[in-house]
Amino acid sequence: MNPLISIKSVSKTFSKGNTTIKPLENLSLDVPRGEFLSLMGPSGSGKTTLLNLIAGIDSPTSGEILIDGRDIAHLSRTELTKWRSVHVGYIFQLYHLVPILSAYENIELPLLLGKLSKAERKEKILAALDLVGLGDRADHRPSELSGGQEQRVAIARAIVHDPDLLVADEPTGDLDRDSADSILTLLNTLATEHEKTIVMVTHDPKASAAAHRTMQLEKGRLVEESRTPLSSLS
Amino acid sequence: MKLVILALKNLTRNRLRSLLTILGVAAGMFLYASVQTMQHSLSRATETSAADTTLVVYRENRFCPSTSRLPEHYLSTIERMPGVRQVIPIQIAVNNCGASLDVITFRGVPPETLKKYNPNIKVIAGSYDDFVKHSDGALVGQHFANRRGLSPGDKFEAVGVNVTVAGIISSDSPQDENVAYVHLPFLQQASRVGLGVVTQFNVKVKSADQLQPIAQQIDETFKADQQPTNTRPEKAFFAETAKQMIELIGFTRWLGLGAVFAVLGLVANAVLLIVRGRVKETAIFQTLGFSRLAIGFMVITEGILLGLVGGLIGVIGAMSFFHFKSFTLGNEGLTLALSPSASVTLSGLGMAIALGLLASLYPAWKATSRPLVQSLNA
Repeated sequence: MNPLISIKSVSKTFSKGNTTIKPLENLSLDVPRGEFLSLMGPSGSGKTTLLNLIAGIDSPTSGEILIDGRDIAHLSRTELTKWRSVHVGYIFQLYHLVPILSAYENIELPLLLGKLSKAERKEKILAALDLVGLGDRADHRPSELSGGQEQRVAIARAIVHDPDLLVADEPTGDLDRDSADSILTLLNTLATEHEKTIVMVTHDPKASAAAHRTMQLEKGRLVEESRTPLSSLS
Repeated sequence: MKLVILALKNLTRNRLRSLLTILGVAAGMFLYASVQTMQHSLSRATETSAADTTLVVYRENRFCPSTSRLPEHYLSTIERMPGVRQVIPIQIAVNNCGASLDVITFRGVPPETLKKYNPNIKVIAGSYDDFVKHSDGALVGQHFANRRGLSPGDKFEAVGVNVTVAGIISSDSPQDENVAYVHLPFLQQASRVGLGVVTQFNVKVKSADQLQPIAQQIDETFKADQQPTNTRPEKAFFAETAKQMIELIGFTRWLGLGAVFAVLGLVANAVLLIVRGRVKETAIFQTLGFSRLAIGFMVITEGILLGLVGGLIGVIGAMSFFHFKSFTLGNEGLTLALSPSASVTLSGLGMAIALGLLASLYPAWKATSRPLVQSLNA
């Protein structure tokens, strides 16, 4: 079976003043469809850069990034934006919900780009809210929700348009343990039961343990790979 | 439409800032609309058209009604000239020959000739017959009556002339809206110029192309007389006689331009602040799949909405102000009603939208040109 994500010899270089920085160097990686992959590593190891490349919000200096068979490495900024709107759901560490919009309206944002009718949008939003367990919080604004609930709304926003790929940048980094555990369980469910391919960056070994596979990065290279035993995944 | 609603919601995020910007825009657009009203009123009074067929016969080298004195018997000579349709002698008495905001003008005319000479005059209160019957009766222009709070039956005194309001009139001609028509002999006596003396003759000719030849003929006829004349088309007469007022109004153009630049700067500053405060949020929208065009559209829509709401308040405020205050500028016995108009209202709103659009172009470009990763890390 073809992997959903296939990264081949990807390097990323950028200049800062007179210094050339290489956050990723000749990195290759395959992620099968429906896998929950965790990327770990110290600060500056290149994990967020890799996540951004997979999400199509940045482009590599060289190499190929095939997502579902399509090389996104050489797409223009406009093409990437269009591609993201269909194929990617992004989950941020600090949720980044729009404060003046209700949970319902925040989740609706990715759907505004399509041609769905209001009724069709409503059906999808309510389904997403139910999936993240916030069916009764649709009219609440972010300021009226807890951190864990905000992150659930952000996850609902990321999945409402049914993308194949979810990328999460430290999704539990700002949450207490209980909230973090429930978010990780939710992500695991999305991968296992809904066949979403998830790539998550984290510093937290406990969060990493919720993923199917963990890859360690150091100085822009993959240095270690470990699989979580099926028995420990709940 | 969905993006417009989103932009509208964004504006409510910082209500105080939006409100202050809208108030600033409203003040600027009030000034702009006021200046445009003056310019528009002046254009109506001075720009000639093919439909203009009226000449004004004035005393040569005189500019104020109190110094222009012509024998009333010129009337019959002018009436007999080929191409002349109608002539009316007018005695004018004003309280102020200089540029003034509250000029009172009496026009003494033969009461039985007025309606025939000017069929556009409509009596909207009182009656024309009362005016004809009573020697001290006056037909007061609507604008003048509003300004002075006059209604039929009221008595008022100005320039030493006491009259009773017989009717309120409206007319297509701005001049008629700002004067009080009285009986010619009554005004000649009341203003002590004496019977048989008038300020000017208004002459209607059969077609516009006859204006110049007949004007020349009139001036030639009375050239050797004790009271030589200077005859010009009505609007040219206005433009030449009310020079002070026209220069004053011409200057206000700069105030209007200043108001436009102030609004432009204000909206640009407000939208730029909005954009700077939302760098990360803009990046989130782009990450979700909103194109740069969509982001730019939302920023520009916010600018346009600020301009439009401020413009609506300012322009409608200015139009209401001129409507209820009935301001009249006067100079050398001529009056200029500063009247609100639909064209100024529409052009004011159009200008407000254009300024909102123009002011938000740069902020929109700023919002969309920054690299996405850089914005996400901001």
